[in-house]
Amino acid sequence: MIAGRGRQRIRPPRRSVAGDDVDFEQTWTKISAAFTEIHTKNASRLSYEELYRLAYRVVLKKKGDELYKRVRQFEHNWLSTEVRSAIQALFSPNLLANTQGLGGTTANERRVAGERFLKGLKQAWTDHQVCMSMLADVLMYMDRVYCQDVRRLSIYTTAMLLFRDDILNSNTSEIDSRVVLALLNTVILDQIQMERDGDVIDKHLIKSCVYMLESLYDDEMESEDQRLYNVSFEHEFLATSSEFYRHESEFLLRDSDAGAYCKHASRRIYEEDERCRSTLAESTMPKIRKVVEDELIKNRIHELVEMESGVRFMIDNDRLDELNLIYDLNARVDDRKTELTRAIQKRIVDMGTDINNAAIAASQATPAAPAPEAGDKAKGPNQEKSLNQQTVAAIKWVEDVLQLKDKFDHIWKDSFQSDHSLQTAVTRSFADFINSPTFPRSSEYISLFIDENMKKGIKGKTEMEVDAVLDKAIILLRYVQDKDLFERYYKKHLCRRLLMNKSVSNEVEKQMISKMKIELGNNFTLKLEAMFKDMTISEELTSGFKKHVEGLGDKDPKRIELGINVLTSMTWPLESMGSGDDDENKRPKCNFPMALDRIKRGFEKYYNEKHSGRQLTWLANMGSADIKAVFPKVAQKDGSFKERRHDLNVSTYGMIILLLFNELPADQYMTFEEIHAQTNIPRNDLMRNLQSLAVAPKTRILIKEPMTKDVKSTDKFYFNEGFNGKFVKIRVGVVSTGNKVESDRERRETEKKNDDSRGFCIEAAVVRIMKQRKELAHQQLVLETLNQLAAQFKPEVTMIKKRIESLIEREYLERIEGARVDSYRYLA
Amino acid sequence: MDVKKKHEIEAALYKENQQISSGTLKEDNPLDSSENFRIFCEACRRGDLKVCQEMISTGVNINARDRFDYTPLILASLCGHYEVIRLLLENGALCERDTFQGERCLYNALNDRIRNLLLSYDYQKSTNPLQPLAAHITSLLGRDNPKTTDITIEAYGETFHLHKFLLAARSPYFARKLSSAPNTTSWKLPSSIPAASLAVALQYLYFMEVSLRRVTVGLGQEEEAIVLDGIHKISRQLEIPQLFECVTEVSDRRLLRQRRSEELDRGRDQVAAWFRDNILKNKMVVDTEKVKNVQWDRDNSIFADILLRADDDEEEDEPNDSNASPGPSESSTPPVRNTLGPLNGIPIGPMRSRSPSRHRQRRKSTLYPAHKAMLLRSEYFLTMFNSPFKEAHDTPHLHIVTVDCSPAVLETILTFMYTEKTDFGLDIAIDVLFAADQYFIEKLKQRAAIIISTLGNGSTSAVESENPRGEIDIDGDEAVDIYEILRAGWDTQVQRLEEFAARYIAYRLEQYVDEADFAELVKESARRVKARQETDTVELVDDIRYYLSERFRLRFEDSGLEELMDENAEVLANAAEDLSINEGSMHTKEDVQEFVPDIDAQIAAGAIRTLDGEIAGDEFAQDAINYQILLGKIDRLLENLDLDA
Repeated sequence: MIAGRGRQRIRPPRRSVAGDDVDFEQTWTKISAAFTEIHTKNASRLSYEELYRLAYRVVLKKKGDELYKRVRQFEHNWLSTEVRSAIQALFSPNLLANTQGLGGTTANERRVAGERFLKGLKQAWTDHQVCMSMLADVLMYMDRVYCQDVRRLSIYTTAMLLFRDDILNSNTSEIDSRVVLALLNTVILDQIQMERDGDVIDKHLIKSCVYMLESLYDDEMESEDQRLYNVSFEHEFLATSSEFYRHESEFLLRDSDAGAYCKHASRRIYEEDERCRSTLAESTMPKIRKVVEDELIKNRIHELVEMESGVRFMIDNDRLDELNLIYDLNARVDDRKTELTRAIQKRIVDMGTDINNAAIAASQATPAAPAPEAGDKAKGPNQEKSLNQQTVAAIKWVEDVLQLKDKFDHIWKDSFQSDHSLQTAVTRSFADFINSPTFPRSSEYISLFIDENMKKGIKGKTEMEVDAVLDKAIILLRYVQDKDLFERYYKKHLCRRLLMNKSVSNEVEKQMISKMKIELGNNFTLKLEAMFKDMTISEELTSGFKKHVEGLGDKDPKRIELGINVLTSMTWPLESMGSGDDDENKRPKCNFPMALDRIKRGFEKYYNEKHSGRQLTWLANMGSADIKAVFPKVAQKDGSFKERRHDLNVSTYGMIILLLFNELPADQYMTFEEIHAQTNIPRNDLMRNLQSLAVAPKTRILIKEPMTKDVKSTDKFYFNEGFNGKFVKIRVGVVSTGNKVESDRERRETEKKNDDSRGFCIEAAVVRIMKQRKELAHQQLVLETLNQLAAQFKPEVTMIKKRIESLIEREYLERIEGARVDSYRYLA
Repeated sequence: MDVKKKHEIEAALYKENQQISSGTLKEDNPLDSSENFRIFCEACRRGDLKVCQEMISTGVNINARDRFDYTPLILASLCGHYEVIRLLLENGALCERDTFQGERCLYNALNDRIRNLLLSYDYQKSTNPLQPLAAHITSLLGRDNPKTTDITIEAYGETFHLHKFLLAARSPYFARKLSSAPNTTSWKLPSSIPAASLAVALQYLYFMEVSLRRVTVGLGQEEEAIVLDGIHKISRQLEIPQLFECVTEVSDRRLLRQRRSEELDRGRDQVAAWFRDNILKNKMVVDTEKVKNVQWDRDNSIFADILLRADDDEEEDEPNDSNASPGPSESSTPPVRNTLGPLNGIPIGPMRSRSPSRHRQRRKSTLYPAHKAMLLRSEYFLTMFNSPFKEAHDTPHLHIVTVDCSPAVLETILTFMYTEKTDFGLDIAIDVLFAADQYFIEKLKQRAAIIISTLGNGSTSAVESENPRGEIDIDGDEAVDIYEILRAGWDTQVQRLEEFAARYIAYRLEQYVDEADFAELVKESARRVKARQETDTVELVDDIRYYLSERFRLRFEDSGLEELMDENAEVLANAAEDLSINEGSMHTKEDVQEFVPDIDAQIAAGAIRTLDGEIAGDEFAQDAINYQILLGKIDRLLENLDLDA
C-alpha cells in the first residue's frame, strides 16, 4: 500500500506537539483543581483521559520540572494544612500526658485514646496512599519520561516521603516539640504493654500502622534497614521489651517454681512470635525472640536449672513435661544445651554412685548381719549365705542400673526429643559411674545378671520379653570399659551353665552370643562360640559312642551309659573349674571303680580312633551321674516299712563315693581317710561331696559320725539305710556349684589372671605395631597400643611400660641409643 | 565460531529435501520469480533500505529464494549491508543454525559484525513476530483486573470467563451463535465433553501453544481417551478443525515452529478480518459538537465495551471553542503552527492540505467501537481502566474516550493492537510515533521509528555511495524535515531517530551548516546534555562528526589513498585553522590550493571546485579540503554558540 503512493512526505507532528504553546498556569490550575477533588474523594467524576493529556502536554513541552515541583508543593501544602490539623485534633490531652509518663489515667482510657489516634493516623495514611496512586496514574508520563530522564524519584515515592516529613516528623502541637512519630511509637508500645498485661487490643489497627512505618524510609536509599519501622520503632520496641522481661524474669524466679517459670517463658516466646505475626512485622520475630530468650532464658538458665524445684527435682519426680519445657528453653539459647546437660550428667552420676554404694553396702553388710544367728551353723554355709547375698546384690545392682537407664531413656525420649547430644552425655555419664574406680565389679555383676536370667529369669517369658532382657544386658555391656574382664567372667559362667545343663534355652544363649557379636565384634565371641561348638561335637560323640557300644554286641545289663563332653582346653576356662589350689599339671586323677574304668577306656579308645594324637584328660569334678539306689526295708520314723527306690543324681565324685558303700555291709563304716585313699579324690572336693551326701538334711544318704556340719578327716561314714526322700528323683547338690559372686580371694585370683592375659594382649599389640613400624618413639607406641586395645580394655600405662621392658629383655625390641626421645627398634 | 562440516550440511539438506518432497515439511525458502521479489533482491544487493522496507510492506515472502538459490538475507549479508540485514531479521527473515540456508548465510557473511548479528537472531532465540499479540491474548484468559470478560462458560464446576469478540473472531460457530443473540452472557458446554477438553479448546482460541502432553499429564489411558474424544467433538462443534492437529505431538523443532507460525498467522488473520468487518465498519463520523449525544448500548452486536474518539484536525478558521467540552478541544493550542520561531523558513508542506479529502465547515470526530481487552496492551489504557476515574466506572452506555490524535492515527493504533500490523504511511509516521509514545505502545513506537528512518531516508544508499560530496538533491523535493524528526526523536527518546538525523545531516552538511536553525538545533542538543550532566560534549555534533568522517573516510579507504589523506590532513589542518581565523577570505583559499600536492592532476582535471568555489587539485584533494572546511565550520559554530566540545 505504501509503495504505490510514490514519494511521500513526512508530515510534521500536528497540533499541540509542536511549539511552546502550553499555557502552563492555566493547565496547572486545571490539574490542581482535579487533585483537590481527588483528595476530597470526588474522583469518580474526573476524566482520566483529560488529566493525563494535560500532564502529558506539559511534560512534552519540557515543563516536567515545573510540574514536578508544583505537584510536590501541592502535596506539601495539603499535608501540612489539612492532614496535619486533622491529626493534631486527635491528640487528647490525656494521650499527651500519659506519654510523658504521668499516671492518673486508667489503662482503658489510655487504650481508647490511643486507638483513636492510631485510627486517625491510619486513615490519613490510607487516604494519602490512594490519592497518591491516582496522582501517579495521572502523572504516569511524567514519571516515565521526565523522572527517569533526570533521575528523580517517582512522584509517588516523593509523596510518601512528604508524608514522613510533613506528618510523622512534625510536632504534635505548636507548643509541644515532640514529633508525631515518637508519639506513635509510644502509643503502639503502650498498647503492646497492655496486651502483655492481658488486655485485648486492636491488632489490625496496629498492624496497619506498622505497615505504614515499613513502607517509609529514613533516607533516600530505601535500603531495608533504613525503614522507619527499623530505624525508629523496632529499636524502641526491643529496648522496652528487654527491660520488661528482665523485670519479669527476676520476679518470676523469686516467686514461682521452675516448672511454672518454664511454662511462662515458653508462653511468652509464643506470644511474642504471635505478636510479630499479627501485630508487628515478621522481620522483627527473630530479634524479639532473641531478646526474650536472652532475658528469660540465657541469663537465667543457670539459676533455673539449679533451683530447688529445678532439674533435679523434676527428674526425681518424673516431671516430664517440665523437663521438656526446660529442654526446649535451653535448646533455644544454646545448641549444646550446656546447662541442662551438666545437670543431667551430675544427676546420673549421683544416682549411679548411690546404686554402686548400695551394692557395695549390701555385699558387705550381709556377712555381718547373719553372724549372731549363725550359732549352730557352720562357717561354710555362712559364707555360702553371704555369697548368695552378694549375688542378690549384684543382680539388684544390675536391675537398679537398668531401671535408672530406663528412667533416663524415658526422659530422653519424652522430654528431650531424642536429642543427640544429650544422648551421648547420658551415655558418658553411665559409663562414668559404671566404670568408676571405686566400683570394680561391674563386669562380674553384668555377667552374673545374664547368668541368672539364663538359668531362671527367662523361664516362661515370651520371645519378645527375652529379647528385651538380652538387649538390656547388652546396653549395660556397652558401658563397660574392661571388656576382657567381662569376657572372662562370662566364659566362666557360661561354662558352668553348659556343663551343668543349667541353661533354660540354648537358643537364647546363642542369641545372646550373636548380640554380643554385633556389639563387640567377632573376636570377642570367637571363644564363646567355640564352646558351643564343643558342646555339639560332644553330643555327636556321645551318641556315636553309644552306637559303637551297642555294635559291640554283648548286651551288658549292667551297662553304664556314658554322656561325655570333650572340651578344648584352650577355649574353656578349665582353671576356674578345678579347685583353685591345685596346680594344673597335677590335675588329680581319681580312681574310678572298675565298671567305670572300663567304659572310660572304651571311650578313650573310640576317641583315639577318631582323632589320633589327642590327649583326653578326665575332669571328674565336673561330671554328674544318675544312680538307681535301693534302700532296704528299714523301719522309718513315720513307721512305714518298705523298700524304697530312688534315682539319685549326684556328682561323679559322689557316685564314686557311693559305689564304695555298695560293697560295704550296712553297718560298716569308712573313715574319711579311707575314702580318700581309695578314691584319690582331692580332699577339698571329697570334703564337699561328703558334706552334701552326709550333712545336707534332704540328701543324707550317708550318715556321718559325729554329726557336725564340718567334715573332718577322722569322721566315719555309714550308709543310711533309713533314708527316705519325698520324691523318687533326688538331686544331690554339691555345694557351690552355681555361679556366685566371687569371694575376695577368687577376685584377686581372677584379676591376676586377667592381668596376665592382658599382659599377653599388650605384648602382642606392641609387637604387631613395632613389626609394622620398625622404629617408634615411646609416646607414640603407648598411644597406638592404647588405641589398638581400646575395644577390649583400657590398659594402664605402667603395665604397658612393664611389657615393653619385658620385650626388651627377651630381645624383641631394643632401645635406640642416642635418640632424642625414648625410642625403640624392632628386632626381627 | 564453529561452522558445520560440508558433509554434515549436505546430509541435513538431503534430509530436508526428502521431508519437503514427502510433504511433511513446508519449504522454508520457496522459489519466487515475481518481479517484486526481483526488485527486493536487487535492493538487498545494493543495500537500498528504502526499497527493502517498501517491498517488505507489499508483502513479498522475505524468506523466498531467487532462481540462483539466493535469499534476500544471504544477498544482504554477502554484500555487507548491516542495516538491511537488521531490517530483514527484524521482519522475520530466517537464519537458523543447522539448516542448509542458514549455514550458507553465516558462511557468506561479509564480516564478523554481520555474522554476529545473524547469530544473535538465530531462530531458536528469537520469537515469532506475532508472539507479543499472542501472549497478550493468552494473558486475557487469566486476567481478573480490570474486568473485560463478557461471557462465561461453565463446565463441571469450572468457570471460564471469556470474551465474546474473540470467540466470534476465532470460531465460526460462536460467530453465528453470538450474532443471533449478541447479549448472551453464558454458554453451556455439551455434557459429553470433559472440562479438560474445553480448556484445551479455549487455550487454542486464545492463541496459546497447546500440547496434548500438558493436558493429559497424570491421566490414565482411559481418561486420556475421553479427553481426546472431547477435544475432537468440541473442535467439530466450534468449527475449529485445526485444533486436533495442533494438539498432536511433534518432536521436530522446525515442524513445530512452522505449525505454530501457521497457527499464529491464521489466528491473526481471523482477528484481523473480524476487526475489519466489525470495528472498522462500525466506526462513526459525527460532528464534534454532537459527539456527546452518541450513545451506545452495552449490549451491542460487536460486543464493544468502549468507544474511542479521535477528532479531525481543526480547520484554521475555526474559532477557539473555549473550554466548554473537556475532551478534545485544543483551546490552548494556537491552530497555526508556522508562525513559531525555530521552524521559520523550513520548507514543509502547507498545513491545510493535510486532510485534503475532507474539506468541510464543521469539525468532525470519528468514533471507533473497541474492546478494553485489546486496549490493555497499552499501559495507558491498563492504568485508565484500573483507576477509580470516570472511565473505569460501569455505565449503561459506553464511555467515549478521546484519543489525542487524528482518526487515521487512531485507526493505525487500533490495527496494531488487534492485529500487530504496522503498515502506515510516512505522512502520519511522526504522529503515530508521538501517539505511541504518549500511550506507551512500545512496539508501535519502534515500528514508527523504523519506518521514518528507513523510508524517510530517501536514498540512503545513494547518500552513502554516490553522494560523497554532499551534492544537493536538485529535485528540491526533500521528503524530510530533518529538524522535526530530530526533535521528535528527542521528545520521544528514540535513539534510532537521533542517529538517523545526525547521519542525514552529516551527509548533507553543506546544506544545513550555515542555517540559523541548525545553530538553534545544536544549542538545543547542548541544553539536553546539560540537563543530563553525563558528558560535556554536544551529542548531536559528536554524531555529525562521526558520520562526517564516515562519509569521507569511506572514499579515501576505497581509493587506497589513506596515506595521502593523512598527509593532506596535516596540511589541511593548518589551512582550516587559517580558514577559521580569516573567516573564509579568498586569501586562504589560495593557500589551500598551494598545498595541494598533485599539480599535474590539477592541470589535467581543469577546474574542480571546492566548497568555497575555488579550484582544487583533484577529487580526493577536493574531498579532503571539503572535510576540513566542514569540520572548521562546525567548530566555528560551536565557538559562536559559546559551547564546549
